[in-house]
Amino acid sequence: MKIELRNVSLEYDGKPPLFQGVNLVVEEGEFIVVQGASGVGKSSLLRLMNRLQETTTGEILIDGQPIAKHEVTSLRRKIGYVQQTPTMIPGSVEDNLDFPFQFRSAGTHKPFGAAEKQKWVESFLIESVKLNDDATKLSVGQKQRIALIRAVLVNPEILLCDEPTSALDQQSKEIVEHSLERLNIEHGISIILVTHLDLTFNLVNSRRFLLRPDGLEEVSV
Amino acid sequence: MNIIEISPLQLVLCLAFVVVAGVGSLIFKLRLEKDLIWGTVRTFAQLFLVGYILKFIFDIKNPYLVILCYTWMIFWAAQTISGRVKDKEVHLFTPTFVSMVVSYMIVAFAVTGAILQVKPWYTPQYFIPLGGMIIGNSMNAISIALDRLFSDLRKESDTIELALCLGATYQEATGDILRAVIRAGMIPSINALMTVGLVSLPGMMTGQILSGTQPLTAIKYQILVMLMLVASTAIGASIVVHIVRRRCFTKAHQMAIS
Repeated sequence: MKIELRNVSLEYDGKPPLFQGVNLVVEEGEFIVVQGASGVGKSSLLRLMNRLQETTTGEILIDGQPIAKHEVTSLRRKIGYVQQTPTMIPGSVEDNLDFPFQFRSAGTHKPFGAAEKQKWVESFLIESVKLNDDATKLSVGQKQRIALIRAVLVNPEILLCDEPTSALDQQSKEIVEHSLERLNIEHGISIILVTHLDLTFNLVNSRRFLLRPDGLEEVSV
Repeated sequence: MNIIEISPLQLVLCLAFVVVAGVGSLIFKLRLEKDLIWGTVRTFAQLFLVGYILKFIFDIKNPYLVILCYTWMIFWAAQTISGRVKDKEVHLFTPTFVSMVVSYMIVAFAVTGAILQVKPWYTPQYFIPLGGMIIGNSMNAISIALDRLFSDLRKESDTIELALCLGATYQEATGDILRAVIRAGMIPSINALMTVGLVSLPGMMTGQILSGTQPLTAIKYQILVMLMLVASTAIGASIVVHIVRRRCFTKAHQMAIS
């Protein structure tokens, strides 16, 4: 799946534009990192890409088609989004991992079996977390990883990650970054990550951008 | 049993109650004197006005006039609801008004035409007071439900967005909230079913008894009213909450309130 942003701008209620003139092409399997100061609109930029918000001007194309032409619920399953503050629904870890499969847009997809889910939990280095643990009582770092697994189980082609490591300690941060690298390399999921932090990992095929009010500038890795 | 007519002098005597409250307000410095005076004047003015309007409508017995009067009452209820809930981002009046008119017309007609079999069904003596009770109770139910709807949508916005991001429709993302909200709106009328006659005697029944109706007739009317109110609050709250929830989201299943 390819995403293309053409001359995109975003403004709220007559205020000066948050950003304008944003152009970006994300090819299948790419790892894109967008950095920028707080409040520059990094989260909003991601929210435009899975149509949680609309652009003020410009257009977003998904596989060459304007984003509005795609059926929005199935589009959002193909373009996963991991919120900055991981939200757990009340219940167990397993309830949270099954959550995406109760919606009509899941079609015939059924929740994964317990063994498969436990395997995912372990592969994200949170072996201490059991499927029947209360998800709301996990640490932020653990929640962040459960949120990632939950988004990945839906089998997205692109994953939008909003500051996934900003609330984490150094060790959890490295684990989450490593998990994202693996999702990109081993599972072929394109990743678009926004952050105001410096990253500790350095992917060979990643491209980095700096978001400013007047556009998106590619910077060298 | 004879009805004791209240003379104008007796009515003036009732003002003594307001004076007592006013003196209390002065002693305790509650600063409620102005409100008490204004409230008393309004009570007299509004009720006398309504009395004369009702007398006029009762005398004429014109179905259009009855329906117009009922629609007018609903108009004010819908105004009150949008004033109470006070949400700047979603326009409440029109959906509330239209759904209240449609649903309450049906309930009021069912009661007068089908159950009581009043002939004709629009006989104002039955239609207007029964309809008025439907509106009054449902207005409270709808206010409670809408107030709760907006606070829950804002409180749970992260969970709602999570569900939307995972491919939920706005209906799926807010299903639990919708159920909780309608329940909250209905609980007062269900509680009333549980406590009626134990905690207090309902106003309508008291009024009927005071005006000479046999208690056993009065309770039958009260039962009818209680059950009618459960239905009308359920229908009113469900329809309005569904319509207003729709307005809280865009066609692309995005949250339209912040």
